[in-house]
Amino acid sequence: MQRTVPNTGEVADADILVRARGVTKRFGGLLAVNKVDFDIPRGSIVSLIGPNGAGKTTFFNMITGFYTPTGGEIVFDGKPVAWRRGSKVRSLAPHRVTALGIGRTFQNIRLFSTMSVLDNVLVGLHVHLRSHWWDAIFRTPSQLREEHDARERARELLDLVGLRERENTWARNLPYGDQRRLEIARAMGTNPKLLLLDEPTAGMNNAETRDLTNFIRRLRSEFGLSVLLIEHDMRVVMGISDRVTVLDYGEVIAEGSPDEVRKNSRVVEAYLGRGAAGEG
Amino acid sequence: MSGNQPAIEELETLELPQSGGFAGWLQHVTQTAARWPAMYRAALARNRRRTIGLTILALVIVLYPLIFRYVLSGFSRNVIPLPLPDDTIMVFMLIFAALALGLNIVIGFAGLLDLGYVAFYALGAYTAAFLASPHWGALGINFHFATAAPDTIPGIHIPFWIIVFLAAGVAAVFGALLGAPTLRLRGDYLAIVTLGFGEIVPIIFKNLVNVNFELGPIKLDNANLTGGPLGINPIDAPDILGLKFGASGGIAPVYLAMLIVLMCLVIARNLERSRMGRAWMAIREDELAAEMMGVNTVRTKLLAFALGASFAGFAGALQASYQGATTSDFFKFSTSIIVVIMIILGGMGNIWGALAGALVLVYVDKSLLPYISQRTQEIGRALNWEDLASFNVASLNFFIFGLILVVMMRLRPEGFLPSRQRAAELHHAPPTEAIATAALLEPDNVDAVEAEVQADIEAAESAASLEATSDAAQAEDDPSAPGRGDGR
Repeated sequence: MQRTVPNTGEVADADILVRARGVTKRFGGLLAVNKVDFDIPRGSIVSLIGPNGAGKTTFFNMITGFYTPTGGEIVFDGKPVAWRRGSKVRSLAPHRVTALGIGRTFQNIRLFSTMSVLDNVLVGLHVHLRSHWWDAIFRTPSQLREEHDARERARELLDLVGLRERENTWARNLPYGDQRRLEIARAMGTNPKLLLLDEPTAGMNNAETRDLTNFIRRLRSEFGLSVLLIEHDMRVVMGISDRVTVLDYGEVIAEGSPDEVRKNSRVVEAYLGRGAAGEG
Repeated sequence: MSGNQPAIEELETLELPQSGGFAGWLQHVTQTAARWPAMYRAALARNRRRTIGLTILALVIVLYPLIFRYVLSGFSRNVIPLPLPDDTIMVFMLIFAALALGLNIVIGFAGLLDLGYVAFYALGAYTAAFLASPHWGALGINFHFATAAPDTIPGIHIPFWIIVFLAAGVAAVFGALLGAPTLRLRGDYLAIVTLGFGEIVPIIFKNLVNVNFELGPIKLDNANLTGGPLGINPIDAPDILGLKFGASGGIAPVYLAMLIVLMCLVIARNLERSRMGRAWMAIREDELAAEMMGVNTVRTKLLAFALGASFAGFAGALQASYQGATTSDFFKFSTSIIVVIMIILGGMGNIWGALAGALVLVYVDKSLLPYISQRTQEIGRALNWEDLASFNVASLNFFIFGLILVVMMRLRPEGFLPSRQRAAELHHAPPTEAIATAALLEPDNVDAVEAEVQADIEAAESAASLEATSDAAQAEDDPSAPGRGDGR
C-alpha cells in the first residue's frame, strides 16, 4: 500500500528514510503535536530538541506506532506507518513497525529487569525469529538451529556494547550506564534501519556521555544506521547531529544544521536560553 | 557458559541434522538421546551433590507406586499405619500436577492472573466424557472407532490416546476464546473476568439438560446434552493395548498419569526456553516494552491462554477416564483457587515449583489430613473424649491452606522453589533507582554509590545462589546465577 506523499523536492525520495507530513496528535483538548513535517535522510543523525512537554516523545511514539496520529501521514522506508483512510488516520501496530526496521530505547529505562542480559537482547531478536510454538514443543532441528544462531547474534551485540561478560546477569543488576547500553543492544537486536534514542545520556556522567556519543557515531558508520535522537544535553546534540529540529508547544520552530539552529533567535528564546541557564 | 566442561545446552545442539522434516527430527532426537550419558556426566561435573540428589528423587518418584503396592501398603495395613498416598491419591496428585504446570504458563510465565482455570479442566473432562461414554446413545448418535468397547454399547467411543489430545485441543480453543476479550485487561480486571468464565462453564454443563432447540435440520426436543447435575457416567476407562487404566487398574493408571505429567513437563520446559517463552516473560516484565521490541502481544497472550488451557484438557481427560464419571460439581471455584495456591506455594514461574506445589498440596489434602484425622479420632476414642473422637481434621483443609499461604507470604513469598526472578523481585528493591537518584543528587559520587549497590547485589545473589544450589529447582539452561558463574 504505497501512499503518495507530497514531495518536498529537497532530497530524492529514496534517500529519505522517514517522511512525516502534517503529523498531529491531540489528547482530548491538548494539542501535543501540531502539523509537524519532518524528514530523516538515510544514514543521518537527526536530533529532536525542545523544552519539556514540547511533544518530542509524543512524536517518537507516533513513529513507532505506539500512538496513532490524529492527523497526517508517516512513511518509513517507502512503507506507510500512519496513513489516512477516510476521515481517520490508521497506523501499524508497534510490533509491525519494529519489523519494518525501527528500534528504540526509552526515556526511563524499560529493560526486562529480571530477565538475563542475554535474554533481553534475544527478545529484541524475537521479531526476526520464525519458529512456532510447535517447533518449540518438539525442539525441531530448525528451531534449535535458529536459537543457536540467535544466541550467537545476541552475543555479538553484547560484544558491541561491551556487556558480553555479563550475559547471565539480570538486567536490573547492571550499573545504570550499562543498562542504557543494554537497551541499545536490545534495540539493535531488532535489526533496525532507524534507531530512536530517547534521552540516551540522561543521568550519565561526562565520561559516560562521551563514550555514548562516540558509540552512536560508530553505529552509524558500522551499521549504516540512521539515528533520531531526543536529547537535553546540548553538547551531545551539537556534537553529533547532522540536522536538528526544534519543537515548542508541539510545533516545529526551527530546523537546520546545529549551527543554524544555535543561531536561530526563536530557539534561543524558547529553549537554549532556558537550557543554558539550567545546565550550570 | 564458558566452563571447561561442555555445557548441557551445547551437547544438545551438537551436530544438528541438515535435513529438515520428520526424518531430520527423528535423527536429531536419537542422536540427542545417545548423548544423554555425556549430558549426565556434564551435569555431575557441574554439581555432583545436586545431580545425585535429583537422580535419587526422580527414582523414588518413579518407583514409589511399585514400592507402595508391594511393600508399603501391606506394612501400613498390618504393622504401623502410615500417611501414604494410595493409587487414587497418586493419580490425583498427578492430575493436579498437570493443572499446575498449565496454569504456571499463564500466571507464572506470562503474568496473566487467571482465576477461572477450572473451566478448562471441566472442558477437558466433558470432552472425554462425550467421546467415550454411552451418553449420546440417547440421542441416537453412535460411533465406535478403534475402541475396546463392544459394539452393543450405544454412544460415541474413541480410544483414550486420541481423546487426550482432542480434550487438550478443545480446552486450548476455549482458552483462546476466553483470552480474546480479556486482552486489554490486566491484573485485577483480568482476574475478575476469568473468574466469571470459571463459574459459567460448569454451570452451563450443569444446566444443559432439557434443551429445546430448532435450527434447520437440527431439532432438539427436551434433549439431555450434558447429563445435568448427575453428570456423565460410565465413561470408558483408558484401554491401551488391552491394558485397563481405570480406577480399578491398580498402579497402571498412576504410570499413565505420570507419563502425561512428564509430557506436560517437557512441553512446559521446551516452551519456556523458546522464543515464545521469552516473549511471555517479556510481557510479564513490561508489556509496553515487549510490544516495542516487536513482540506481537495479542498473539503471544492468546497463545499463553491456549497452551496453558491445553494442559487442563489433559488433566480433565485423565480425570474423567480414570474415575469413569464426571459431574459439574467436581469443577468448583475452589479448584481454581487450589491450583493458584499450588503455584504460589511452589514458586511462581518455576515449573519444578508448580510440580512440587501440586504434589505436596494434594498429598496433604487427600492423604496427610485424613490420616491425622483418623489418628486424632482414635486418640479421642481412647481417651473417651467425645468431641475429639468425632472431630474431622480433614474438614479444616481450606483453613490450613489459607494459614500456610499467609505464613508463606510472610516468610518466603517467592514459594518453596522460586524462579530466581520472583525471588529477586520480592526481596530486593531495584538497585538502579538508588544509582539514578545518586546521579541526579550527587553527580560526583555516583561511582561510589554504584559500587555500594553492586556489592549489595552480589552479596544477595551469592546468598540466593547458595539457596538455589540446595534446592532441587534450577534447570541447567537457566542463566547460571551470577556469583556462581565462572565468567567473572
